[in-house]
Formats: sequence, C-alpha cells, structure tokens
Amino acid sequence: MDAQQLTTLAGVIDKKMNRQLKQYIDICARCAICKDACHQYVGTGDFKYLPARRAELIRQVYKKYFDKTGRFVPALYEARDPDDNLLDELYDSAYACTGCRRCMYYCPFSIDTAWILSVAKAILIAAGRGNEMLGQLADAAIFKGDNAEMFNDVMISGFEDIQEEVRAITGNPESQVPVNKQGADILYVALAGAHSIRPAAVIFEEAGESWTISMFEAANYGFFYGDAEKARLITKRYIDEAIRLGVKEIVVPECGHAYRVAEFFYEAWSKEPMPFKVSHILEKVDQYIKAGRITVDKGLIEGKVTYHDPCQLGRNGGKFEEPRDIVKAVTDNFVDLTPNRAEQWCCGGGGGIVAMEEFKDVRLASGIKKVEQLKASGASVLACPCENCRLQIEELNEVHELGLQVWQVIDLVVAAMPLKGKKPMQA
Amino acid sequence: METYLWITSVWGIYLAAIVFFGGMAWRIYEWSTTPKSPVRLGMFPKPKTKLGRFAKLMKDTFIAPQSAKIEPTMWIFAFAFHVAALGAFVGHARLIHEFPFLPELLGEAGMNTFAAWSGSIAGVIMLAGVLYWIARRTYGPFKNLSVPEDYLLLFLLLGVVTMGDHMRFVYGDIVHAATYREWFLSVITFRPEIPHELLASNVGISLGTHMLFTNLFLMYFPFSKLIHSIGSFSSNLVRSE
Ligand code: HEM
Ligand code: SF4
Ligand code: SF4
Repeated sequence: MDAQQLTTLAGVIDKKMNRQLKQYIDICARCAICKDACHQYVGTGDFKYLPARRAELIRQVYKKYFDKTGRFVPALYEARDPDDNLLDELYDSAYACTGCRRCMYYCPFSIDTAWILSVAKAILIAAGRGNEMLGQLADAAIFKGDNAEMFNDVMISGFEDIQEEVRAITGNPESQVPVNKQGADILYVALAGAHSIRPAAVIFEEAGESWTISMFEAANYGFFYGDAEKARLITKRYIDEAIRLGVKEIVVPECGHAYRVAEFFYEAWSKEPMPFKVSHILEKVDQYIKAGRITVDKGLIEGKVTYHDPCQLGRNGGKFEEPRDIVKAVTDNFVDLTPNRAEQWCCGGGGGIVAMEEFKDVRLASGIKKVEQLKASGASVLACPCENCRLQIEELNEVHELGLQVWQVIDLVVAAMPLKGKKPMQA
Repeated sequence: METYLWITSVWGIYLAAIVFFGGMAWRIYEWSTTPKSPVRLGMFPKPKTKLGRFAKLMKDTFIAPQSAKIEPTMWIFAFAFHVAALGAFVGHARLIHEFPFLPELLGEAGMNTFAAWSGSIAGVIMLAGVLYWIARRTYGPFKNLSVPEDYLLLFLLLGVVTMGDHMRFVYGDIVHAATYREWFLSVITFRPEIPHELLASNVGISLGTHMLFTNLFLMYFPFSKLIHSIGSFSSNLVRSE
C-alpha cells in the first residue's frame, strides 16, 4: 500500500470520530481486566481475541495519524500504519467479535470495544476487505427492498401456506396471517422462514391482536457487515412499510440484533424520530399472558427448562424479566443459568459469525463457557429468543452431546396453549 | 546540590504545573468539542432516574464492582493503590498548611506519629501496587498488551514512590514537615527559597529526585492513558445512557 492509501484508510477513523470513541481510545489503561470477560479469548486463549488488543489496533493507527503525542513519539505507543499486516489481524478481531459487550460490562471505564470495532469494520470496508458473505447478504436485502414487487407474489403465497398451518394449530378456520393490512396496530417484522411467523401468528390471533405481517425480514446483515448506510437501508424497508400502513407499533421477532437495531440504532442512523414504538415479541407475549389475553397451561412442557439471555436482548437490550416470566408461566420446573442476565455468557454465535464459515473453529471453541453453564444447569430444555444463539447452541448441543432441546420461546408458549387444533411440532 | 534543587524543585515545578494544567485543559477542551455519538451506547441494567444514574456512575467509577468480580486480585491492588495515592496526595497538603483540628485533636507529637504512620502505610502500599503492576506486565497476555507508554509511566511512578519512601524512611527523623513546608510555600508564593536544612543533609538529593520524577510524571500525565482519572467519569456515565 502506498502512503496515500494508508492515509485514506486512517482517515476513516477521523470520519467516524465522536466523543465516546475518542475517550475510549484515550483512556484504556491496558489493564486487561476485560480479557476473561470475552468468551472468544477465554475459549481460544488467542491474544488477538483479547478485547483490549482488538481496540489497540485502532488505537495504534489513531496515535500515528491523529494524536499529538502519538505523532511526536510514535514508539511510545507502538503507533503504526493500517498496512496489510495490521488489517489481517484486524479482520479477524473485528469480524469475529460477536458484539456481546461483555467486555464493556466488566471494564472499569465501561469501554465499548464493540463500538471501537465498528470503526475497524469501516476501515476494512474502505480497504475493500469487508467480509464478503455479510456484504452479499446485506446487498441482497437492499435489493429486495428496492424491488419489492418482484418478491410480492412469492411472499404472499408463502404467508397463505403459513396461514393454513396456523389454522390447523388453532383449530380456528378464521385465523389469519394478515398481509398489507392498512391501519393495523402492529407490524410484525419476522425472520425469513415460517418458524418465526407461525407461532407468532397463533399467539397474535388467539390474543385477538390487530396485526399485520411485514414483507421484510428483521435480520440486518448490514449491521454485522459494519456499514451503517447499508444497515439503515435494510431497516428502512420495514420502517417505510410501517409508516405506509399507519401502524402504532413495530414488533420484532426472536432475534437479538433486530431489536437492538430498531430500538437503539435506527433513529441515530436516519436522524429522525420514529413515529411509533418498537417492541420485542416477548414483551407482547408477556403482556398477553399477564392480561389473560392468551392462556397457557403449566405441565405441558416436560423436563427442566432453562433460559439463555441473548446479549443483544439482555445486556444490550434490557429485556431480562419478560422472557423469564413467560417461561415461568409455562413451567414450574425452571432453572436459571449461572451467571445470568447482564453477566450471561455470550453463546458465541452473535455478530453474524454463524454466517462466516472461516470463523467456525473460533466460534465453536468460544462456546465452551455456554456448554459448561448448560451442563451445570441440568436442564433438558433451553428457551432462547435469538436465531443466531439458537444456531450456535444447537451446534454446540451436537458437538458436545448435551441432549438438549433448543426452543424458541414462542414455540414453548404455543406448546403450552390449550388449543383446539393439532399440536405443532417444535420448529 | 543547590543547583539540582533549583532545577528540580523550583523551576521544574513551575514548568510541570504549566504543562500539567495546560495539558489537562487541552484534553477536556478536545473531548468537549468532539460531537457525541448519535447512537446511545448504554447497557443494562440501567437506572431510570437521574439520581440513580449518578449513584451508579459513582459506584462504577470508585468501586468498579464488576471489575472486582472478574479480577479480584487486580482489583485489590488497583483499589489499594488508588486509595493510597489519594491518601498520599491529601497528606501532601501538609506542605501548604497544617491540617486544622488534627494537631489539636492528636497533639503535636500525636500528629507527627499519625502522619508518619498513615504516610508510611500509603507509601508502602503504593510501592507494592507499582511493583505488582510492573511484575504483571512482564508475562503472558499482560506483556503482549503492554506498550512502552505503560512501562514509562510505571517507571516514573516507581521513581516518585521510591524517592518519596526514601525521604520518609531514611530522613523522616532528621527533616520534618515544617522544613518542607517552608520550601514548598516559598515556591507556590513565587518567592522561591531553599531552606538550609535541606542543604545540610543528603535529603536534598532525595527530594530533588522525588521532584524530578514527579515533574516528569505530571508533565506526561495529560498526554497519557492516565487521563482515565477524569475520562472514566464520562465514559462510565455513557453506560447508563
Ligand atoms: C476514579 C476512577 C479511577 C479508576 C476506575 C481507575 C482505574 C485504574 C485502573 C483499572 C488502572 C490499571 C492499572 C494497570 O493495569 O496498569 C489504573 C492505573 C493507574 N491509575 Fe487509575 N483509576 C482512577 C482514577 C485515577 C486517578 C484520579 C489517578 C490520579 C493520580 C490515577 C492514577 C493511576 C495511575 C498512576 C495508574 C498506574 C498506571 C500504569 O499502570 O501505568 N487513577 N487506574
Ligand atoms: S478492561 Fe477496559 S481499560 Fe482495561 S484493558 Fe480492557 S478495555 Fe482497557
Ligand atoms: S464485544 Fe464480546 S466478543 Fe467482542 S471483544 Fe467484547 S467480549 Fe469479546
């Protein structure tokens, strides 16, 4: 790389600079207290996965180009160029990071390493070294947003099939999966695949909710890829849809980052306030159960049940109790993992890592803490409201022969509902 | 020795003060003029009220309970070091003015004994803390993570603390607070003088070296990671945003 290119890449830091980032870069004591917070460092022992080390790469470039002392005596800070050497390591440390922010939880200064790594990803993208898989998935989602009519018929016929399944489960021929319903209260933005729509539809219909299904998915690969503009466009698809349909509320599915993106990021990206509120599906389900809008019976779920807090929903989203209350409403045999809630171990499957084959080894190694927790709990059923977590934990389940059943929370709820139709099999 | 003391313990102090306060002001200016992140970076659990946020900020910054949980040994040393450093800092106020009430409460001799004990304990703890940190940075991931800045700071700190301890443990019975106060007051009132007692014994070398390290430490402070001393408040506050 020539000097011009290096300067351009370093310039990305300056473009992305804000007060928090600057303080994170300036104040880290390199005390390494964060090291044992990171499941990837703990699982692999590989120095490049130590949270402060990941951030250090950005700090080194910052010192070389933008910090007065760093430019004066670069050697003091090991300041250096964003050359191929640095980018190689940065690629691994940035794209492997699941964004769980467990390191931030334990850091004495609450340094958000994942936020620093969002700059790392921007640099990699500027260098043409963004993760290809995530980039393609993001572009495909944007393409779908731009050419919605192209997908219309397929989507609608898919929803019709699901509607049949829903009717079979509820035993009610009137049950619906409403499409494009103008003036509905809720727009439910699901994930790709019937499994995230079917149980939600059963619950909405039984609760007598006024809802409609979105033509788009809540998953956001632009967010994982690290391109705020792509991420914004992907989210904007269903935001525009919600505005067009005049709904009061957007409900996101059992997906961790979808909730975080909609609730915490979108307004900052779009720079305008959202005219409706964002809820997680489990908030709604918890309300329905507590208000008696749906009935759940205890005893229909067999075995000891435990719950995994997805990082984006728990520590980063604040939804600790609603999912637990739901699980406790369907079983008396509940046991929490240790540690739990804000201290919950990341399962290792977040941040888009399940979509990146090259990180498979790190990913599986980083699940060791989750495996230990699950074994110690003695549970045979795991409720887990995040698709990426479930993919990861199901794989750990196989590799470590845990004999665990991994369920979506809404599947547990439907299984515990006394319905007239046939019992659905777990997704 | 007189020249050494004039350089380190008079003019050096003026220079260090200018660089330190100028540097800190520059840091704060830079931080406050950089726009805030548009994304809310808080995490949960998050207090709902302003008072709750403030209480959490104080707790996270001064106690760091999460860090204590994950790395108890490091936390104990860090906590002890910081408290001792604070104690030593407060103790140095005797250079300006005798503490009100305390001598009356303890008596003149009692005050000196108290100061001797508290200062000695603080000095020993700080030394232990610095040595622990240096040792920690010599192996494994701690070594790999360290950059020259870390060693430089610890080296300067070691200089400050050992020379401070040297003055206390070797010359504590020979030179008393009043002598140092005479010198320090003269410096801060801009009529610098070096008292004879300091020149009469070898304590001058210790004092000069203590001040040399202190000045270098303070001059580097605003340009180093030690600005965590002020930055930690705002970064910990972001946690509840
Ligand atoms: C108030 C909140 C503060 C917190 C939470 C805090 C925390 C820490 C931590 C975690 C370290 C890491 C030690 C290491 O591994 O090197 C450290 C080092 C240090 N801190 Fe603080 N600190 C605080 C305030 C201060 C203040 C006010 C000072 C002012 C003198 C200070 C001076 C130092 C020094 C001299 C070191 C050792 C530097 C080194 O290891 O190179 N700290 N602090
Ligand atoms: S715990 Fe925080 S201050 Fe310590 S090394 Fe990690 S990021 Fe830096
Ligand atoms: S956010 Fe999670 S994965 Fe990323 S560095 Fe921190 S602890 Fe590790």
